[in-house]
Amino acid sequence: MARVDVWEQTLSGRKRFKHGQDSYGLAAETAGQCGAFVNDDDDEAVCDDDRSCYNCRYRRWTADSFECLKP
Amino acid sequence: MNILVCIDDTDNIESRGTGSLASELADALQNNGWGHCRPVTRHQMLLHPDIPYTSHNSSMCFTAEIRPEFMDAFTGFAQSYLQQESAAGSDPGLCIVDRDRLMDPDTLMAFGRKAKTTVLFKVDAYQLAERLSVHLSEHGGTGLGVIGALAGCGLRLTGNDGRFRGKFQVGEIGEQLTVADLMQKTGVDVVKNLEGDILQDDAPVYIGKNVKAVLQDGRSTLLVFPEPRDEAGEICWQTCTKQQLRGY
Repeated sequence: MARVDVWEQTLSGRKRFKHGQDSYGLAAETAGQCGAFVNDDDDEAVCDDDRSCYNCRYRRWTADSFECLKP
Repeated sequence: MNILVCIDDTDNIESRGTGSLASELADALQNNGWGHCRPVTRHQMLLHPDIPYTSHNSSMCFTAEIRPEFMDAFTGFAQSYLQQESAAGSDPGLCIVDRDRLMDPDTLMAFGRKAKTTVLFKVDAYQLAERLSVHLSEHGGTGLGVIGALAGCGLRLTGNDGRFRGKFQVGEIGEQLTVADLMQKTGVDVVKNLEGDILQDDAPVYIGKNVKAVLQDGRSTLLVFPEPRDEAGEICWQTCTKQQLRGY
């Protein structure tokens, strides 16, 4: 089960992934439990996992992590 | 004429990506008999709160040899195409560089590198484009995509930035090919390890889940890493994972 604390809220009200850009296992686990996951273009995929928040169309990269843009 | 064509910021979160549009532009150039294109590369720029990118702030670039009499037709086509095909809310930019007439390539490359570390502004891009006499145009929204479009041309010109769009279908995962086979099946220019050593033609390489090329020293390059599978102690190689290629 993905931990419940993978997200934190940003000042602008978005969901920010708390575990940075290299937590591949956690990103895959989180996407596995997400009903909104949609694969982004393959050119923007950054890991080999079939399902990962890191490869999701709704993730927006930031300098040190990403935000989930799915409402 | 040898040209660089780069587009940026043509998408929104729900639309198809900028890479798809770049590939269609390249296809149109070829299908109209205007010239011949090389594959599209993706170039990553700075991720910063002051930059209003959609989700990854990357631009897509290709090079082409185009017959001079078709240059105006292609430029017009590319402009109309971006206007029509870019997604709602996007800020598309188009840059076309005539490499044969580019007097100061170093400055263009420096602009590309700077876009990876610094927040740049539209005025910076337009001033440089004017000084270098390269085509730079915006086609909707704020037009901020001109920054990435110009920077992408500079980065492609360095010959040492970006991943090639798409991936190769060269067999089953775990299948072993020689470097020579791999080069023949993919059309890449060279196979290297992560330290930059070129592998011999007969070196064995295991096929990974995703086989993608990067741009290094101006050549399409397939990167591999050592994989300890051979009981005889020989070095075996495997094509790099997407994780390993994400920094390119």
